[in-house]
Amino acid sequence: MKKELLAMILAGGQGSRLGCLTTEVAKPAVPFGSRYRIIDFTLSNCTNSGIDTVGVLTQYQPLALNTYVGNGHPWDLDRSNGGAFILPPYQQVAGSDWYTNTANAIYQNIRFIDNFDPAYVLVLSGDHVYKMRYSSMLQEHLESGADTTIAVYEVPWDEASRFGIMNADENGRIVEFEEKPAKPKSNLASMGIYLFNWPLLRRALIEDEADENSDHDFGKNIIPKLLGEGHKLMTYRFSGYWKDVGTIRSLWESNMDILDRPDDIDLRDKSWRIYSRNPVKPAHYIASGARVRGSALTDGCQIFGDVEHSVLSHSVIVEKGATVRDSVLMPGVIVREGARLEKVIVGMGTVIGRDAVIGGRSDTSNPYHEARLCSDNITLIDGGLTLRDGSVVPGNAMVHNGVDVKDADSVIVDTEPVPAL
Amino acid sequence: MLRNCCGLIVADDRRIQLGELSRPRALSAIPFGGRYRIIDFALSNMVNSGIKTIGVSTYNKYQSLMDHLGTGAAWDLDRKTQGLYLLPPFINSESYGMVGPSDDLSGVINLYRDLKHEYIIISSSNVLMNANFTELDAFHHERNADITVMYNRDGAKGGPPNTILDMTRLGRIKGVYENPLNPVSNRSSLGVVFMRRELFVQILGDAISRGESNVNIDYLLKQYDRVRVYGYEFKGTALRINSTQNYFNETMRVLSEPERSDIFWPEQPVFTKVKDEAPAIYSDSCVVEDSLISDGCLIQGAVHHSMLFRGVTVSGQAKLTNCIVFQDSHISEGCELENVIIDKDCIIRPGIKLIGQAAYPVVIGKGSVV
Repeated sequence: MKKELLAMILAGGQGSRLGCLTTEVAKPAVPFGSRYRIIDFTLSNCTNSGIDTVGVLTQYQPLALNTYVGNGHPWDLDRSNGGAFILPPYQQVAGSDWYTNTANAIYQNIRFIDNFDPAYVLVLSGDHVYKMRYSSMLQEHLESGADTTIAVYEVPWDEASRFGIMNADENGRIVEFEEKPAKPKSNLASMGIYLFNWPLLRRALIEDEADENSDHDFGKNIIPKLLGEGHKLMTYRFSGYWKDVGTIRSLWESNMDILDRPDDIDLRDKSWRIYSRNPVKPAHYIASGARVRGSALTDGCQIFGDVEHSVLSHSVIVEKGATVRDSVLMPGVIVREGARLEKVIVGMGTVIGRDAVIGGRSDTSNPYHEARLCSDNITLIDGGLTLRDGSVVPGNAMVHNGVDVKDADSVIVDTEPVPAL
Repeated sequence: MLRNCCGLIVADDRRIQLGELSRPRALSAIPFGGRYRIIDFALSNMVNSGIKTIGVSTYNKYQSLMDHLGTGAAWDLDRKTQGLYLLPPFINSESYGMVGPSDDLSGVINLYRDLKHEYIIISSSNVLMNANFTELDAFHHERNADITVMYNRDGAKGGPPNTILDMTRLGRIKGVYENPLNPVSNRSSLGVVFMRRELFVQILGDAISRGESNVNIDYLLKQYDRVRVYGYEFKGTALRINSTQNYFNETMRVLSEPERSDIFWPEQPVFTKVKDEAPAIYSDSCVVEDSLISDGCLIQGAVHHSMLFRGVTVSGQAKLTNCIVFQDSHISEGCELENVIIDKDCIIRPGIKLIGQAAYPVVIGKGSVV
């Protein structure tokens, strides 16, 4: 059962900056780009790079993610030897614990990795949208004779202070790592994609776990530790499309990128398919009198109204006289007659009542106004809700059951559990 | 749900030819409805009715069918204990060169003799419907029937081949007529038959020993003077694909209601092979109305009352009306197409104008460059 390379996908984080979208669903399982869930990109990259053994580390709200990944069949990861493994935290005789941080999560799965006796372990995040050939990264890793290779991405200089920055010499060897430096010396940001020689990582994880002062984080602890020990850490430069969909704004933007910059992520590339679990729905229907422009749609949608510059997931219904603009509608959303949506992200299965007006200008006096998570006049509506006919929700608002409003002011008339798939 | 029942799908019918569309493939492997093949409907009906062991009898041109069905995983039929059985013609040194017609059932006797299920449903593949067989099963037992066939009241409407049933008031069949000149009734078989598996094997065995040729589904119905054969009326939408013209008309029918909802009945999904296409992309300048569009399409032109399969490109200034375009075909700039069926992997070059008639659509064969 020996494997040369094994991938571990960190998918246990909450993604709290996505607000109500991740109250019941872990971030990697959030629907994205009409047909996909965010984790599809990482899983498909593994498959397309020839990696057939993938551990998916789950912890926060794992139901949707576990159901979605299942036995890995959609990504060709249903293998007899290897395949996809969901790895939740577990009880032990002593020292049972949640995954306390990224390095600790891998530490708790040392036995899993040892089973496959890999030479290299690739540590990935389950919440980035990008296409990367990990086999090329391994190739560079072998050629450079590195102990660890870290994928880096050139970010604009003025944004560099928001990232973990790798300072490298002219050969790409990392000399210093700085987490969110005030005065960055380089604009090479770490993408959170690490390729380790397993024996080295194994030892580092065990030592780090024993270190009481450590936060058990890859960026903060493991990488500086390896650098300090004088190991050879190399950068792997990545220049394609890459987006960390960590905020409501970046989630909206990267959905819009599919429409505005289709060649960047190029979902139509037949040599690098992004696989996803299929909803089993018929082709989508555009009715007489409907208008669909500049948008992405998928199976099971039925459009009777007006859809412009929007990304619709499967089984979305837009009724007659409704208009949807610059919006992201997740699976099963229904927009009733005459409703108007502008720059709205709507969670799974939500019904927008007739003649509702959602989005537009910000209104700080509105009870649903959300200054911390929403920006750029984007409005977020939670999944599983039914919004009252004629509801009005302004831009920069977030509608979910946790908002404290009087019943008379509430736009929510009904709540159902968000479906797992 | 049917328990203890196996299935058999007759994937081809020597009587039915769809010209260019059936040239490269068996009848049941012809694409339909944007993302399906004809066989998906019969298979999904069985799977949705709880049947887990299904044989697919094939005759020739079965490469496309095998490629589509694969291990049966898309229908959850990739099982250890049960699953999907592809039944190509049984050829040994004695029968070499003497294989019967494509809808002949005698070759499948070995599999069905060895299965242990009490019942069998046999389905032809030229009728598309979204049906659950639970009520058929109940009807069969209520009438204490030996064989029950599904029918509707289409009569000879779909053209030949059709099988017209003469029935008593209680639904017992007393006459079976193939392509009659003067039909005795409007009851037309839908090619779905329910019976005890052992009876099926026995009828096949008798027919083989008597050297009968042409042992097809109608042959089973014609046993009405020996066993109790009943008809069960199906009231939903049934699309009969007997000719290219039928194919075109029936496809256009599913663009409207109630046919669309009936055929793609959401509570009972139609399963098919997954292609992992990108979502369909609509450009800023496109116009699409009254059409079914599949994943992977890129639409820059105008599409009216048409059906696009997966991965079709419609370039700018192109205009499609009443068209059916199969997977991965490319319609270039400025084309004008009306009443056209375009098979897989075709390229229609810039500015081409193809105008068929609703009563006589133009068909462009697989892989053509026009």
